[in-house]
Amino acid sequence: MLILEFLVKRIAQGLLIVVITSLIIFTLLRVVPGDPVRLIVGGMAPPDVVEKVATKMGLRDPIIVQYGRYMRGLIQGDLGQSYLRPRSGMIAAGGQYVDPTKSDMALVTDLILERLPFTLQLGGMALLFALLISFPVGIAGGLHQHGWQNALAFGTQSLFVSIPNFWLAIVLILFLSIKLKLLPALGYQGFSYVILPALVLAVEIAPFIIRTLTTSLGEVMQAPFIDEARVRGLSRRRIVYSHALRNAAVPLVNLLGIQLSTLIGGVLVIEYIFDYPGLGNLTVVSVVGRDFPVIQGIAITTSAVFVFINIIVDLVAYLIDPRVEI
Amino acid sequence: MTATTVIAAELEPRLARIRSVNRRILAAAWGMWSFKIGFFVFIALLLASAIYPEVSSVSATKMVVKDKFLAPVYLGDKWTWDHLLGTDQLGRDILMRSLIGLRYSLLVGVVTVVLIFVIGCGLGLFAGFKGKWWDTIIMRITDAQLSIPMIILAITILGVSRPTVPTIIIVLALSGWPLYARVARSAAVAERGKEYVRGLRVLGAGDWRILLLFTAPNILPPIAFVAVLDVARMMIFEAILGFLGLGIQPPTPSFGSIIADSRKYLLNAWWIGTIPGIFLAVALTSINLMGSALEKARNRIYGGL
Amino acid sequence: MDLSLILEIDDLTVGATTPGAAPILDHISFRLSTSEIFGIYGESGAGKTVLSRALANWLPESLEYRAGRVAFAGHDILGAGAREVRIGRDIAYIGSKPQSSLDPTVPVGVQIAEKLHSVRPEWNGRECRDRVMQLLGEVRIPSPKERYWDYPSKFSGGMMQRAMIVDAICAEPAVLIADNVTQPLDVTIAAQIVALLHDLCTRHKMATIYLSSSLPTLGQFGDRTAVLYQGRFVEQQAFAELLAAPQSDYTRKAIASVPRMWETAEGPLARRQAQGEIPLMKVENVHRTYRARKRGTFNTYSSVQAVRGVTLDIMPRENFGIVGESGCGKSTLTRLLAWLETPDSGSIVLNGTSLGALSSRDLIRKRNEFQLLLQDPYNALPPRTTVGRMIEESLLIRGRIPRADLRKRVIAAMAEVGLAAELYDQLPNALSTGERQRISIARALILDPKLLILDETLSALDQREQGRLIELFSKLQEKNDLTYVFISHDLAMVRKVCTRIAVMYLGEMVEIADNHHLFFDPQHPYTKALLSAAPTLEQKPFDPSDFLLEGEPPSPIDIPAGCSFASRCPKAFGRCRVETPALVEHSPGRFAACHLLDGDQAQAAA
Repeated sequence: MLILEFLVKRIAQGLLIVVITSLIIFTLLRVVPGDPVRLIVGGMAPPDVVEKVATKMGLRDPIIVQYGRYMRGLIQGDLGQSYLRPRSGMIAAGGQYVDPTKSDMALVTDLILERLPFTLQLGGMALLFALLISFPVGIAGGLHQHGWQNALAFGTQSLFVSIPNFWLAIVLILFLSIKLKLLPALGYQGFSYVILPALVLAVEIAPFIIRTLTTSLGEVMQAPFIDEARVRGLSRRRIVYSHALRNAAVPLVNLLGIQLSTLIGGVLVIEYIFDYPGLGNLTVVSVVGRDFPVIQGIAITTSAVFVFINIIVDLVAYLIDPRVEI
Repeated sequence: MTATTVIAAELEPRLARIRSVNRRILAAAWGMWSFKIGFFVFIALLLASAIYPEVSSVSATKMVVKDKFLAPVYLGDKWTWDHLLGTDQLGRDILMRSLIGLRYSLLVGVVTVVLIFVIGCGLGLFAGFKGKWWDTIIMRITDAQLSIPMIILAITILGVSRPTVPTIIIVLALSGWPLYARVARSAAVAERGKEYVRGLRVLGAGDWRILLLFTAPNILPPIAFVAVLDVARMMIFEAILGFLGLGIQPPTPSFGSIIADSRKYLLNAWWIGTIPGIFLAVALTSINLMGSALEKARNRIYGGL
Repeated sequence: MDLSLILEIDDLTVGATTPGAAPILDHISFRLSTSEIFGIYGESGAGKTVLSRALANWLPESLEYRAGRVAFAGHDILGAGAREVRIGRDIAYIGSKPQSSLDPTVPVGVQIAEKLHSVRPEWNGRECRDRVMQLLGEVRIPSPKERYWDYPSKFSGGMMQRAMIVDAICAEPAVLIADNVTQPLDVTIAAQIVALLHDLCTRHKMATIYLSSSLPTLGQFGDRTAVLYQGRFVEQQAFAELLAAPQSDYTRKAIASVPRMWETAEGPLARRQAQGEIPLMKVENVHRTYRARKRGTFNTYSSVQAVRGVTLDIMPRENFGIVGESGCGKSTLTRLLAWLETPDSGSIVLNGTSLGALSSRDLIRKRNEFQLLLQDPYNALPPRTTVGRMIEESLLIRGRIPRADLRKRVIAAMAEVGLAAELYDQLPNALSTGERQRISIARALILDPKLLILDETLSALDQREQGRLIELFSKLQEKNDLTYVFISHDLAMVRKVCTRIAVMYLGEMVEIADNHHLFFDPQHPYTKALLSAAPTLEQKPFDPSDFLLEGEPPSPIDIPAGCSFASRCPKAFGRCRVETPALVEHSPGRFAACHLLDGDQAQAAA
């Protein structure tokens, strides 16, 4: 019952947040300088052509009206059509003039859905790698607060957090891909193409996990009930894995919720560098090209994913530790 | 002898020097070798980036085409002592460009963190201490802000007009303040329930007085110590923005843009991208070492209190 | 080898791991037979916990065994025999902090079953679970099958201690070590736990080592008792003989220091009455209810009725005491008296002015007349503030004062409470508990109040410091014409100090009487129960066994109709469950709220 109420409340709040975010992005795009129409019709076009096209596209209406139109479409599941990409898939730019009000432009929904799985795969693999690296190091560091394990954890985390992701990407491409030919680098032609980008992303996420794990595990191990478990007859293994880790997991789960923003940012940059066909890549290109509908669609999707993951995070935290407020 | 003086005489005058907590944290951090290493490396880089460009005659932006692609000292076929770390594709000295890039990096990093701290903690303390209405509103705003990843905000705002240092700082600050607001708020909520607050209320003190004179000085220092780590984080963000073309615009050197440009020359002139990256990584490591040491010291001292 | 001997301790010596440190336990030796109950008395800090942990081979990292042998059925658990003996199964331990003994994220019953399965792997999961549920019932935890699945935060202190008892005995240990198990509990609950433990130990034939800092509690266990002082046993004999003929000076002093409530004529001096006095503070029918969102629902709120219709008059120069156990509403009432919270209905009138009618500016001025002193001197003072600054704050809140003037007044206040002027610019970190309390007193006194409310202010202090502060209070009362309200759960302290006492239960006053009458002729059954449960070496003026309470007080969310004490009262009858008794003055100056005191009803029930 409590869980049901929690879900209802949070989903309602989540919808509100998604709506507010979309409004912010929507307004921001239209307020900040940079006219998409100019980019579409080309720098040479005379002003009246620009105006004609803009009006036809509905870009000269008041923002509230534009937003209303957008929302109406959204409720029906229609995120609009791209300003730049025709359905056939080739991007329109400068020289080629493709009238976005006439021809059949790619549906934003399609664009997003076709790229979302790639991004999710990248994020998932990155998280997996990060956990594989962080858990052994973090747990060992947490259990031996004054030993070499703690120094190792501290060193690893300091090192990883100081390496700029794009620089690491370049260096790894240079070594693993070009010089040693171990892993493929750019684009996507099979599962192995996700490994290098995921690795770089994992190095970005791992330090926070290691740090939280060592600190919170260290704290939990000092708790009276852990000490008392010894005299009650529980084995050390059971104490650490069934009790200490459980209690230390809650701050970790909370951290994941907060770090999500950073993760999304990281995904964007990584996809750009590796030319990985995910949402991040699409975002960069769309923003530079002022492709409003696509940007809005991505912002909404990102926001929704963000809200969804935070709900899961809070739910998991509650399931682990029932004292958590939900 | 009156009762008062008897009692007073019984108390041993324990006039030991009791150092303030903050000084103890700094002392504890200084005791760690990691802090010392980070500190000295950082000072060295700071002095280098402040002084060297002023005293050297080498230019960071002038293109000297005949000097292009010179390798760092001893590391290639063509090198000279004039350019210790080599030159890039347009003949510009890499050492100089790295140091100037470092200047901007540090500037953006520090100013952003100061802004984030002031705005974030200010709002967070207020929300946590006053509670109810204010709390809900401010927390919802942080939620909304947090759901817009920095990158998207940056691309949207900076991707349109020519990014300048102030706008970069504003974008970074906008994405960073919610975290501090949250931390300050939960600290304030915890303080609000403490006994000494009740003691002060009974004496007649009002909310604002307690917040400013007693609660804030309690809450802010622990957060401030950890804020050092965020300087590094902001520097990375600045570099990422530069890499995407949204940072400080060329010809002014910035780490991100230098490394982005260097991708083409990776095979034959690897030093163009790698050396600035090393500068950045070393600077970041030194800051992170200091910050982590401070964090450890803070946890230790506060845990013991 | 004597087969009935289950535990042999020889020359046990324990000290810190730092070289050269003095031993904490010095050559402790004794024997324990099966089914025997052995008591150990020690003051707090004497080393009881170290001893109890040493016996279970559970020393913390900072301590080490320096010498000695602890043999369980012949096997030395500190040496080679460790493999034969399993701590948790053969030797069990119960500590003094039940609330922090279990993992807060796992249900209580599940954890006990987990422990049982770990130490007795031959019993499978289901057997363990059934056994635990059965034992939970045996220790009188209501609805054991449901409470098995509850989390530790849902258990009260007394309930949790019962659960820890189950945790200890479920594996059928041969030896049980109980370390100060009733320390954190309320008096009436503690009495129940002691009786329960005694019963279980005799029934399950466990050899028990019972450590306590309360001689009277050890008396309830009866048998052989040892006295621990400075790491050694200064004597060992049967309890009755210990009382009659103590062998060491320390024991003599310990027996003498047990507070006597009935065998002494010592009590507070009667207050100076004046002509035509009006009460300094009049509390009229004050109510306070909290609304808390019910967990597990969205919009339903439960009401916690903390204070329900309290009426009192506090006369000038009086020492008024308010006693009660946890959950009775004392803390809420304290906050209301100090006007930190406002009552939902009813009024509080101080010196003729109703506090509720004042504007906030007038209120600050009025606060000069009444101040509150808190319990925990470590948390009650603002951190990282110097002594002088803390006391200055009282004056600074009220406006600007020239520096020199300020300093003079603060030093005067410090002198009045016995704080040396040199402490002005020092942080209070090195000061003792008593000295810190003096800082609280100084910053209240500097406002020149007429009424001081003390919220468990003396509870954190040891006997000596308590004595000194009580002296200070009476001196200040003489000089400044002060009135005190003491809120406490410590009956001995209240007996020594308070002229008039009110007893609180579940948000109401059930009895108000002067000191002598309350202790020697209590009227209300709850007062009798409270006094019966108080651990003391004396004979009580009424038969305690009549009044040993069962169970716990009902939750303040769900207060039953009629008398709130009816569910636990051994003398409750029909009318009690229907009609709430009013606080009536049955004899001059003595109030009680009980139907039994209504002449004819008492006849009918008797």
